[in-house]
Amino acid sequence: MKRSAWFIAVALFAYMTFAQEATQKHPKWQAPPDAAAKKNPVGDKPEVVAGGKKLFMRHCAECHNEDGSGLQDAANLQLPEVQKQTDGALFWKITTGNVKNGMPPFSRLSDDERWQIVSFLRTLKPASQ
Amino acid sequence: MKTLMLLFAAAVSLLGLANQARAQQPAYFVTYSHELEEPRNLEIGTSTTIGSPGSGHPAFFAPFIELEYGATAWWTSELYLEGQSTAGDSALFTGWRLENRFRPLFREHVINPVLYFEYASTNEASKIMKEIVGNVETAAEINADARRVHAHEVETKLILSSNTHNWNLSGNFIVEKNLSEDEGFEFGYALGASRKLATMASAENCRFCRENFAAGLEMYGGLGSTNGFGLHNTVHYLAPVLAWQFSDNAAVQFSPAVRLTRVGNPVLFRISYIYEVRGFGTKVARLFGGG
Repeated sequence: MKRSAWFIAVALFAYMTFAQEATQKHPKWQAPPDAAAKKNPVGDKPEVVAGGKKLFMRHCAECHNEDGSGLQDAANLQLPEVQKQTDGALFWKITTGNVKNGMPPFSRLSDDERWQIVSFLRTLKPASQ
Repeated sequence: MKTLMLLFAAAVSLLGLANQARAQQPAYFVTYSHELEEPRNLEIGTSTTIGSPGSGHPAFFAPFIELEYGATAWWTSELYLEGQSTAGDSALFTGWRLENRFRPLFREHVINPVLYFEYASTNEASKIMKEIVGNVETAAEINADARRVHAHEVETKLILSSNTHNWNLSGNFIVEKNLSEDEGFEFGYALGASRKLATMASAENCRFCRENFAAGLEMYGGLGSTNGFGLHNTVHYLAPVLAWQFSDNAAVQFSPAVRLTRVGNPVLFRISYIYEVRGFGTKVARLFGGG
């Protein structure tokens, strides 16, 4: 019994270490053109952005930090490489995730909620600005 | 010993009242969707199944604790500790289960498969009814007898799930094998549909906004075994579910399950409380000088 417990513990540790290694940035992660071309239907009214901020804090801040600057392997969402992407591309990335590289899909959020997060992402600016 | 078991049951149910409601996940008790726990998060939940078998059999109360950890974005692991208390009989610990869910496909698709593997070490007094498989079991024994019969079970599920038009639609096909007895392979299913009551997040933090509520409907039951596949002598339930996320990381769920067949418990009530510890893995890693 003791031996099996040790075996399970070691196997779990090895698996988690492997999983941690697998969580790395993936620069070639690109939205398909038709998805990238989609327009944001919820707009950028203050109440929409405030709702997006609430969702961001609940679902995204753990990895991307409260100001979007990124923690550990998660992307810095303030960077021009992110901000220059279309609303549709960001929406697609939130929806489908990049599971292999550590980002879960958020398709469980409604379409409107994911667009609200995109609206909030547009407000993220580097601390110096 | 009996007092200890009662204390355990009370602690489990109190924790449940303080802790569960699958944060932002579809409103299901039995059905699994393709949503996995977010990486490095720990979800602590307590659920209770309350049933009244009727025909002179006493009512029971079966609480369990869930510890669900998001190891990666494609792998979630979960430990269950379960107990049971029967009116006029006793309260006891009925065993543990370890389950793992894997996403074989790394992108979101119209239909998303998830593979589920579980090992359970329980005794025959277990009544949490986390899934229904096989055929109807014979009349209830007293706990003192049932606890002596151990079951080492392996269970697999094929989970198919889709998020479409703000609905989640999920179906599970279950295969279970009791390694302790020659019962063949037992089969079961669970189907569910769930939707949040509002699709836009409001600007303010609110507890009672519609966006914090989700409603679902589940149907689950047994499909016989390799000794006789089909609906003969099986039990099926239809269960509406209501979920309320009352804070950023805590939620409660309630579901009355109504029996659709002549056999089984006429009604089951399920209550659960879930609390999510965000970044649990990172915090533990920091504690040991990593992360």
